[in-house]
Amino acid sequence: MQNVLNAMMTPSFGYAILRMTTPILFATLAAVIASKAGVSNIGIEGIMMFSALAGVIFSGMTKSWVVGLLSALVVGVFLGLMIGFFALKLNTDIVLAGIAVNTLGGGGTIFFLFLASGDRGASNSITSEIVPKINIPLIKDIPILGEVLSGHSGLTYFAFVCVILVYVLLYKTPLGLKMRAVGENRDAADSVGVSVNKISYIALALSGLLAGLAGAFMSMGYMKGFTVNMAAGRGFIGLAAQAMGQGEPIGGMLASLLFGFANAIAINLQGAISLSPQIIQSFPYILVIVSLVFYSLSTRNRLKRIKRAAIESDKTEAKDNS
Amino acid sequence: MKKLLAILLSLMLIIGLAACGGEKAPEAGTDSGKTDGEKETVAEGKEVLKVVNLINGNLGDKSFHDSCEAGLSALKEEGYIEYKTIQMGATEADRPKWKSTLEEVSEQGEYDVIVVGTYNMQEYLIEVAEQYPDQKYISYDAAVDLPNVASITYKQNELGYLIGILAATFTTDTSIENVNADKVIGFIGGGDIPVINDFLVGYIEGAKFVDPDIKVDAQYVGGTSGWSDPATAKELSNVMITQYKVDAIWNVAGGSGNGMAEACAELGAWFIGVDSDQEQAFSEAQPELAAVTITSGLKRVDNSLIAVFKDIIDNGASPWGTTTELGLAEGGVGVATEGNYSKFFGDEINKVIEKAKAGIDDGSIVVSSAFGMETAEVEALRNEVSPRK
Repeated sequence: MQNVLNAMMTPSFGYAILRMTTPILFATLAAVIASKAGVSNIGIEGIMMFSALAGVIFSGMTKSWVVGLLSALVVGVFLGLMIGFFALKLNTDIVLAGIAVNTLGGGGTIFFLFLASGDRGASNSITSEIVPKINIPLIKDIPILGEVLSGHSGLTYFAFVCVILVYVLLYKTPLGLKMRAVGENRDAADSVGVSVNKISYIALALSGLLAGLAGAFMSMGYMKGFTVNMAAGRGFIGLAAQAMGQGEPIGGMLASLLFGFANAIAINLQGAISLSPQIIQSFPYILVIVSLVFYSLSTRNRLKRIKRAAIESDKTEAKDNS
Repeated sequence: MKKLLAILLSLMLIIGLAACGGEKAPEAGTDSGKTDGEKETVAEGKEVLKVVNLINGNLGDKSFHDSCEAGLSALKEEGYIEYKTIQMGATEADRPKWKSTLEEVSEQGEYDVIVVGTYNMQEYLIEVAEQYPDQKYISYDAAVDLPNVASITYKQNELGYLIGILAATFTTDTSIENVNADKVIGFIGGGDIPVINDFLVGYIEGAKFVDPDIKVDAQYVGGTSGWSDPATAKELSNVMITQYKVDAIWNVAGGSGNGMAEACAELGAWFIGVDSDQEQAFSEAQPELAAVTITSGLKRVDNSLIAVFKDIIDNGASPWGTTTELGLAEGGVGVATEGNYSKFFGDEINKVIEKAKAGIDDGSIVVSSAFGMETAEVEALRNEVSPRK
């Protein structure tokens, strides 16, 4: 146990939290933006896999990480729109369309990987590029804090910038207002002349873009190269973090950080305490359930308090009136 | 709408065709279609078996399937068999073909022996082999208990033993770059399950055979995709290398291993591969990963097939209905000795390995197996050697 505490005191622990949070945060934002506009994007996991592969193949071909990143984003947007096409144009259930993309992500990426390189399990015969790491001036010289905050992949910083961007988009722009209106009530939005389908397509495209960033981080930041199924459930965790964060960008970010933190602890705990690995590996998820319980308890208490206050004020009002 | 449908359909057709084309990729070097007229090379008086090799994947995997192909092609060279390889593809979408192809060749009855492998084919083989009781099958790396099937399995605990010997020898040699004075070696498995722990138990015992004081840091990637989550494997490796002074990590987690190799390359440690010669796999495009790969633990499908066929043909053995377990002494498991291996391991290590082989052969060394072990026993073993306690 002492070992674990020591490990948690090191800057590399804090650094690892941010690194592990990054893909989850992108996925969470992808879920946030879709659900705000009333379309649920279940296909984030699958989009991540395709984008991760696209990043590797195209950065490997061109030896440019910019091209790799852009193609990951294009693939993400394309798949987001594809889900939209199936759901909005062909009237499939959007959840099914998302599941289809996820299933496709498992088998389809193997197929394209094989076409591009002849590899099957991992992109071992492609020399790909990664998004450069950034050392932040000034901050990097601060002891401990500098080691935690500086030297991350450019995408890690961009993930946190995206939180602000998504927030601004949703709450400070006309487009965001329309998105939220469509999300609240499609018919009402339609009746005042908002093009519901257009807004839904835009939301899914942006959601795909963010999922594409999550995928690009997996293969061009976290790792250098593609492994089949490498998203490993992070897209689904993003969906959970979105729900935990009440569908808000800031709340989603906090939930993602919680997941990142729990994962970092789980990585350090194995073998150090007398618990079986399975329990330690489920630690992040247990933490989520516990925090959800606390959250809903506190909301319930607050609601009770408000209710009680309301009743009492009613009573006093009644008294006053009588 | 119609137009779109037409485009979609033609796309599917193209993809389908491309998939077929991919399967018969000539780089793989199959011998299909060359099976006729090979009888001249066969030595006189020997029975030549007609064999079909069904691969639930593609050649060129530098692993199981290539090893199987190599074994059969060696047998053909020596005039024992003539064979044909059918590549059935590796993806989920190919799965339906696996069973139907197996049924087809069984129905044809043209072949004396049908060779299939891996646990993915196990249930199909059970089903089909029951329907064709007169057809003989060989199943490698998966035991099928039927009177017309000869099964070959590999003792992964003895493979672990061998790698344990190598890793322990490696970590005690501080003259090697990035090998520290702490005698700690690492193990990362896909999940905490018996077959992975079978590798681990052997690994620990092999390491102790070299040096009883050695510590083994055993971790699992876990989760739903423990064998394809390189990012988590990388995090685990980072902690191992920086916190616990591990200088060599053995990958027993398939595709997650790339994450371990990356961590080793970035932080200055060494990587040991599994199933295939991972150094060779990396060498093409990721030289920095190949450079930190010491060796890889292999299941020698080639050796095992050669042994079984020679036994049948030369000794008239009838392995049908039995399971042959092959370990270190039988050459069923081994390590990749090309590339970096010779830089680190000289003659001394061969003597140690020979000693271990002899010990296993005469029964003076018994490598424990995780199969049949209680969970608590495995845990106790893990804790005993853990550097984290």
